[in-house]
Amino acid sequence: MSSNGEEEAARFGHTELPEEQRRALHKAVKWEWITIVFLAVSTFLVYLVLGNSQAMKAAWIEDLLSFLPPISFLIAARIIRRRPTESHPYGYHRAVGVAHLVAAVALVVMGAYLLVDSGIGLVTAEHPTIGGVTLLGNTFWLGWLMVLAMLFTAGPPVVLGIIKMKLAKTLHDKVLYADADMNKADWMTALSAAVGVLGIGVGLWWADYAAAILISTSILHDGIKNLRAAIGGLTDTRARTYDDSRPDPVGERIDSYLQSLSWVREARSRVRDEGHVFHIESFVVPRGWPGATLQRIEKAREACVEMDWKVQDMVIVPVSELPEEFLPGLTQGGGEYR
Amino acid sequence: MLNIRGAAAGLVLLLGLTSCGITIPQDPDGTLERVSGATLRVGVTENAEWVQLPRAGDPAGIEPGLVEEFAETLDATIEWVPGSEHELAQDLSHGQLDMAIGGFAADTPWIKEAGITRPYAETRDERGKTVKHVMLVPMGENAFLLKLDQFLQAQEVEL
Repeated sequence: MSSNGEEEAARFGHTELPEEQRRALHKAVKWEWITIVFLAVSTFLVYLVLGNSQAMKAAWIEDLLSFLPPISFLIAARIIRRRPTESHPYGYHRAVGVAHLVAAVALVVMGAYLLVDSGIGLVTAEHPTIGGVTLLGNTFWLGWLMVLAMLFTAGPPVVLGIIKMKLAKTLHDKVLYADADMNKADWMTALSAAVGVLGIGVGLWWADYAAAILISTSILHDGIKNLRAAIGGLTDTRARTYDDSRPDPVGERIDSYLQSLSWVREARSRVRDEGHVFHIESFVVPRGWPGATLQRIEKAREACVEMDWKVQDMVIVPVSELPEEFLPGLTQGGGEYR
Repeated sequence: MLNIRGAAAGLVLLLGLTSCGITIPQDPDGTLERVSGATLRVGVTENAEWVQLPRAGDPAGIEPGLVEEFAETLDATIEWVPGSEHELAQDLSHGQLDMAIGGFAADTPWIKEAGITRPYAETRDERGKTVKHVMLVPMGENAFLLKLDQFLQAQEVEL
């Protein structure tokens, strides 16, 4: 977080970050630290009042798991700054994918464990026991403190989530996106746990397990969603937008730009997401060799790199016809980026 | 994803119930209501100064004394049920006892069969380890447990 770090952070590998992304990265690092501090306070508070409620246990474990994405982000943000080396010629961008995968696996495992654990509690009808707590000489029901702790921890993550979501879009960062997405849904976890505890309060012992099952289902759901996205990234699926909603439009823009050049007859690219930045191979069929000078190819490449900060690691390959084995879907007529 | 409206509606409903005079917490099996002004079934197992079982007459010791006072606050008469820790734990989990005493500690292994009160006294064993003393109650009978907790926390236990 030092000023030195900020200076260094202005790049992803050999990609110089534009001003907007540079500021977004700086903010993202700051907000992830704020998230970690908030989580430390809230996990400690909830731990103090944990008691015998299964729903509280589930909510607490979700809080603990929420540490993973911000920590992964902060570690990855350091590693990807490094320039490519002889042993890592593509740079270190994949660190983001690895961080994403680790966080996703943790979510899946804990979600599944809690789901089974809560289900067993429900089936064996183990009534959750919550007694008194003594504060300032007064003994009252511990459940009230649990509800209070849950209501206190419900609000802030939503705000953090909304802020980080915007930064994730600017930075094209999927770990940050996953983190923001989880934060935004966090208030539902807290509210469910509070309802579960109040359910115990009015004598409905099963309400606690029902709430815990809801919470663990949502953890598992987050985990599976993230696992798919992380594996997709690591197995070189076509680059998609930061929220995986559609193919990233950069590929289409590059293709149409290259096709518009006077010396180009046909052009088609394949794009993969390395973390924040893309690797792009553009196959270009020139109209004739005298037209396709080295100078023109280099100029075309520079124009593409100018188009978007994510485009840096790009190669243009002149070919006599578009190679189908590298560009699946070529013969189906329509463009790859429909 | 979680059902937002369902959760919110549940919360509103529960808060509504509280304001209509339902006391929280409640006992799923109604222990507190059943024992008040009636019989309190107390399991006892012998354990040094905490619970002594003489050949004739009622149990004596620190804990039977506390339980007698507690029963008075509920206007209940006590039915003493002697047994091993194992028997008492099983009886509690099957609803055949309302509470059990016998110098139990907060790290008792019977937490799958019974609920425990807040520690109401602390001693040291011969190895110098702190022992936090608790009583056992049926699992999930939270109104009864809170009543007992409130009683025990207000006591000055002389060791």
